[in-house]
Amino acid sequence: MANIELVDVSLRDGNQSLWGATGLRTAQILQIAPAMDRVGFRALDYTSSTHMGVAVRNFREDPWERIRLTRQAMPNTALQFIGTGFRFISWETAHPDFMQLVYDRLVVNGIDRVVVLDPMHDIDAAVESARMLRRAGVREIIGALVYTISEVHDDAFYARLAQQMAACPDIDRVYVKDPAGLLTPERARSLLRAVRAALAGKPLELHSHCTIGLSPITYTVAADLVDVLQVACGSLSNGSSLPDAQRVVANLRELGHTVDVDDRLLGKVADYFNRLAEAESLPSGTPQEYDTSFLRHQVAGGVLSTTRRQLRELDMEPRFDAVMEEVGQVRAELGYPIMVTPFPQMVCSQALFNVIGTERYANVPDQVIRYVLGNFGRPAGPIDPDVRDRILGLPRARELAGEPPAPTPAELRKQFGSLISDEELLLRATMPADQVDAMIASGPAQRHYTPEAQQVLRLVDHLAARQDLAELTVEKPGLSITARYRKESVVDA
Amino acid sequence: MLTPEDIRDLVRVLDSSSLEEFQVDMGGLSVTLRRHGARGDWTRESRVTRQPHVLEASQEADTREAAGEEKVSSGTGATTSSARREDVHPITPPLLGTFYRAPKPGAAPFVEVGAAVEADTVVGMMETMKMMSPVHAGVAGTIVEICVGDAEFAQPETALMLVEVRS
Amino acid sequence: MSFRRMLVANRGEIAARVLRTCRALGIETVQAVSEADVLSVPARLADHVVVIGPGPSGASYLDVDAVVNAAVASGADALHPGYGFLSENADLARACGRHGVTFVGPSVAVLEAVGDKLSARDHAVAAGLPVVPGGQAGTPADAFEVAERVGYPLLVKAVGGGGGRGMKRVDAQEDLQRNLELAMAEADAAFGDPRVYIERYVVSGRHIEVQVLGDGDQVIHLGDRDCSVQRRYQKLFEEAPAPHLDDDIRSSLRAAATALAGQLRYRGLGTVEFLFDRARREFYFLEMNARIQVEHPVTEMVTGLDLVAEQIRVAEGHPLRLTQDDISVTGHALECRVNAEDWQADFRPSPGTVTAAAFPVGDHVRVDTHIQSDAAVPPYYDSLLAKVIVHGSNRDEAMAQMAHALRRCRIEGVATTLDLHRRLVEDDEMCLGGVDTMFFTRFLTRQESLSDATVGA
Repeated sequence: MANIELVDVSLRDGNQSLWGATGLRTAQILQIAPAMDRVGFRALDYTSSTHMGVAVRNFREDPWERIRLTRQAMPNTALQFIGTGFRFISWETAHPDFMQLVYDRLVVNGIDRVVVLDPMHDIDAAVESARMLRRAGVREIIGALVYTISEVHDDAFYARLAQQMAACPDIDRVYVKDPAGLLTPERARSLLRAVRAALAGKPLELHSHCTIGLSPITYTVAADLVDVLQVACGSLSNGSSLPDAQRVVANLRELGHTVDVDDRLLGKVADYFNRLAEAESLPSGTPQEYDTSFLRHQVAGGVLSTTRRQLRELDMEPRFDAVMEEVGQVRAELGYPIMVTPFPQMVCSQALFNVIGTERYANVPDQVIRYVLGNFGRPAGPIDPDVRDRILGLPRARELAGEPPAPTPAELRKQFGSLISDEELLLRATMPADQVDAMIASGPAQRHYTPEAQQVLRLVDHLAARQDLAELTVEKPGLSITARYRKESVVDA
Repeated sequence: MLTPEDIRDLVRVLDSSSLEEFQVDMGGLSVTLRRHGARGDWTRESRVTRQPHVLEASQEADTREAAGEEKVSSGTGATTSSARREDVHPITPPLLGTFYRAPKPGAAPFVEVGAAVEADTVVGMMETMKMMSPVHAGVAGTIVEICVGDAEFAQPETALMLVEVRS
Repeated sequence: MSFRRMLVANRGEIAARVLRTCRALGIETVQAVSEADVLSVPARLADHVVVIGPGPSGASYLDVDAVVNAAVASGADALHPGYGFLSENADLARACGRHGVTFVGPSVAVLEAVGDKLSARDHAVAAGLPVVPGGQAGTPADAFEVAERVGYPLLVKAVGGGGGRGMKRVDAQEDLQRNLELAMAEADAAFGDPRVYIERYVVSGRHIEVQVLGDGDQVIHLGDRDCSVQRRYQKLFEEAPAPHLDDDIRSSLRAAATALAGQLRYRGLGTVEFLFDRARREFYFLEMNARIQVEHPVTEMVTGLDLVAEQIRVAEGHPLRLTQDDISVTGHALECRVNAEDWQADFRPSPGTVTAAAFPVGDHVRVDTHIQSDAAVPPYYDSLLAKVIVHGSNRDEAMAQMAHALRRCRIEGVATTLDLHRRLVEDDEMCLGGVDTMFFTRFLTRQESLSDATVGA
C-alpha cells in the first residue's frame, strides 16, 4: 500500500475549467492561502500565462504582486506555473531570451515548480525549456505527457517520451495530464505501468479531469502506480475540473493507502470555495455522467454548444452531425493534435468551415495556418501532405510566415524604456498599454475577502441608492439586517 | 464571522449613503454601526453572540456557571438539570429513535421505579429505522425516575431514566 | 513545521488579538480560561475552550501545571503566552518543551538570560550597549557603595521583578537605608528574591523602545516606540515612531537593539527598552522584554505588518521572510490604553459589568478590545479594557484623529479612563510631543487644579 501525496489545482485548473479562469481575485486567493499552506499539499497548480493576463485585464491586479504575496503566505507549499515554453500571455511565439526572462522573474517572485506542457510532445522543445527553467533556478521541473486517444498515441508512444524525459537531467518528474478526462481505469493500468517502467525511478504524477466521470475511479487504480494524484477542492472540483480532494483521500484510505494531510483544514478549504461560489454566484462542479461518445469526438461541452449555436445562427443546425464527422477527419489530417485548448476550438472551426463552405480548406482561420506553419510545435503524427500544401499555398500563409521574429528583451527595453521593472516590461510587451496602465493606476490589490460579507455589501450598495425608505429589516436564516435612513431623505421624497 | 476589514468596507459604503444606522446579525456576531454628525463618522457596537465550546475535560466547571447566564454548549451535548447531582446517573439512548419500555407490546416493562440494576441490565429498547437495539443501565444502582414513556421519541442526549448510583 | 492547534494561555484583549491571527492562518484555537472568563469574548471567538482553574490568577493563568495540562489535554501543539502572566516564565517554556508543545516565544536559555535584570545587563554590556550606571546589592553595605558611584537621585529596583513593580526613588543619602530595607522586604515577598539593583535615576528621561524580530539566526528591527507617558511605571499612551529624535540617536538605538538581539541569537518577538537622558543626550539600556507587548499595534500600523503572524512563523521554525530593507515606517501611530479605573479617585480599579460599549470605526482607527455589552470585568486581573489606536500621515494628524476617536468611544457600566485620555490629547505638552517620564505627574496635577478651580467656582 502506498503513501500518496496530493497536488491541488483549485486556484488554476479548477478556476479555469469551471469559472473561465476569471473566478478568483488576489484577495480571494490570499484569504485561503495560509490554510491551504497547512493542509500538506505537495504543491499548488497556481498560475499560468492565461491567469496572469486575466489578473491584469479583468481585475486590474498585478500578477507578480499576487505571486509574491501568496509566496509570503505559503512558506510550506510549492507554487507551480504551467506553460508551453514558447509564449507568455499573448498568443504569439516569444523569443527564447524573452522566455528566459519570464522564468527568471517567476522564480524571483516565488514560483518554485514549473510544468512544461508541450501539447505536441515536441521533446526537443520541452528539453530546451527545461534547461532554461533550471537556469532560472526552478526547483522542480515537470515534463507533461498529455493523454489522448488516437491511433498514434499508444502505450509505446508515451513510454518512448517518458524515456526521453527520464534521460533529461533538467526534468525532475513527469506527470500524465488528461485534460479531457478520457483515461479509463483499464487503460490507466497499462499506460501508467509502461510509463513508470520507462521513467526508471523518476516520480510520476497523474492529473485527470472528471469530464465524463472516469477520473475518480481511475485514481483508485492509479494509486498503486503513481506518487502523486492531482485534485481540487469543494466547488472547484468535479464537473470538468479534477476529482474532489476529500473524496479522493477517503477512497485512498479505504483502499489502505496513506495520505498525510490535515483533514480539518482540507474541509475548511473546500468549505471556503463552496461559500465563495455561493457568494459570487459561480457554478459548483458536480460529478459527471459517463458519455461514451466523448471518447470518440473528444470535444468539450463548451465547444460543442458553441458550434451548435453558430450553426443555428447560420440556419444550418441540421448539419451538426456532419460537422462532428468532419471533426474526426480534420483532426486526422492535422496530425492528431491533442484536444486541449486551443486545439478543440481550432479543429471545430475548421470542420465547420469545411462543411458550410463550397470546398474543404477553402477558408482557413489564422490559428490553423500557424499550426501548420509549426508555430505550436511539431505534431505527433504527420500532417496530410495535400492539406499542408493547400494551406501553405494560401496568400495569408505567406503573410504569416513572413512575420518578423519575436523581439528580445533588449529590443523591448528600447521600445519601453529602461526605467520600468522587468516585471512591468514583460506585461507591457504582451498586453495592451491601457490595460497595464489601468492595473498600475489601481494600486495594491486588496488582501482580505470574506464570502459572507459579500451579500451584506451588495445589500448595502442597493440600500444606499434608495431614496424612498425610512427603515428596512431583512430576515433570512442566518442573517438579519436592520437599516435606518436619515430623516431628511424621507421628507425630501 | 465578519472581520474588522469587512466592517471597514461596510462603513465605507454606508458613508456614501443616506443611511444613518445599520445593524447586521450573522455568523455569531452582531454589529450595529451608527453615523454621528454631518462629518459622516461612524461608531460600532459589536457583540460576539456565539456560545463558547468548552471541551469535555472541564465540564464540571461550566455546569457551575451562574444562573441566568446563557447556557454554555459542551462537547457531549446538554445534560438534564437533575444529572448535576453526582450520585444520579442518566441513562441515554445509543441512537435517536423510539423508546420502548417492554420487550414487546403487552409484555411487562423491563424495569420500574425502584428496580435494582447492574451496568449490563437491559432497561428498554430503542427502535431506529426499523432496527431494535437494547438500552443498558450503564451503572449499578436503583432506578429512581422514568423520564420517557413507552413508544415516545428520544434523542441521544435525552435522559430516558435516572439511576441512583450504588456507592 | 506548521502549527495545527494553538492553546492561548492568556486573556482579555491579547487573547482576542492572538485568536484573530490564528483564525486568519487556519490554526485551530483552544482558549484557556479561568472560571471567571468562561463567557468572555475570547472564549466565544476560539474554536474550543478549556477551563484551567478558578478566577484568581495564581490558581489559573499563573499556574504552570494547569496551563501545560490544558495544552496537552486539548491536543495543542503550540502555546501562546501573550504578555504578562507566564509569558516570560522559563518554567512554562521548559514544561512546554518536555510535553512536545511549542512555546511561542524565545528559548528557555534566552528567557533566563533576559529575565534576570543583572544577566540582561551583562548581555547588553557584552553587546556594546551603554547601560545606566548602577550595580547589584545583596546587603545594605553593598548598596551604599554602589550609591556612592552612581550619585543621587537613584532608583532601587528588585532584581527578580519587572514591569515597573516595586521600584523606589531615593533622592538623598539619608533616605537610602529606609528605602533599601523596604525594597528588599517587598522583593522577597513578591518574587521570592530579596536582591536589589541600584541605578542612576535620570531626572528627565524618555522611555524609548525598539521592536525586534529574530529567527534564531538573523535579527531585524521593526522601528521604535515612545512609551514615556506612564503612571507609576505603567504605560498609558504609546506612539510609533518616537517623536523628536535626532536621526543619529534613532539609528544608534535601533542598531543597539539589533546588536543585543543578535548577540542572544534571538528567536521571536522582543522589545529592547532604553532610557533616553534628554539633558545628556545619552541613552542607556533598561531591559529586554522577551514577549509580545501591549503596545505592538502602533508598530503594526506604521509598518503594515501582523506581528503575531511573524511571531508564529518564526516559532514554527521558518527563517525570517523579511530583510531589514523590507521594513519601512510610514506615518505616525498612537495608542491609548483605556482602563477600568476611576482616575479621579486615585485610579481606583472599577470591576463590574460593561453595560454598553461603542467604539469608533473607520480607515485610520483600530480598537483592540475584549469587551462588549454584558461583558464581565472581573476583579482578578489587570484593568485594561480597550486600546484605541490611530494612524495618520504625521503626528499632528494622528493626534487630531485620536481626539476624534476618543470622542466616539462610549463605555458604560464601569468607570474608565476615557475622559483622562481625552484631556491628554488636548494637552499642550502632549501635542508638542517628546515628553519625558515625569510628564504625566505634571499633567495629572494640572487636571487636579482644574477640577479644584471648578469646584471652587
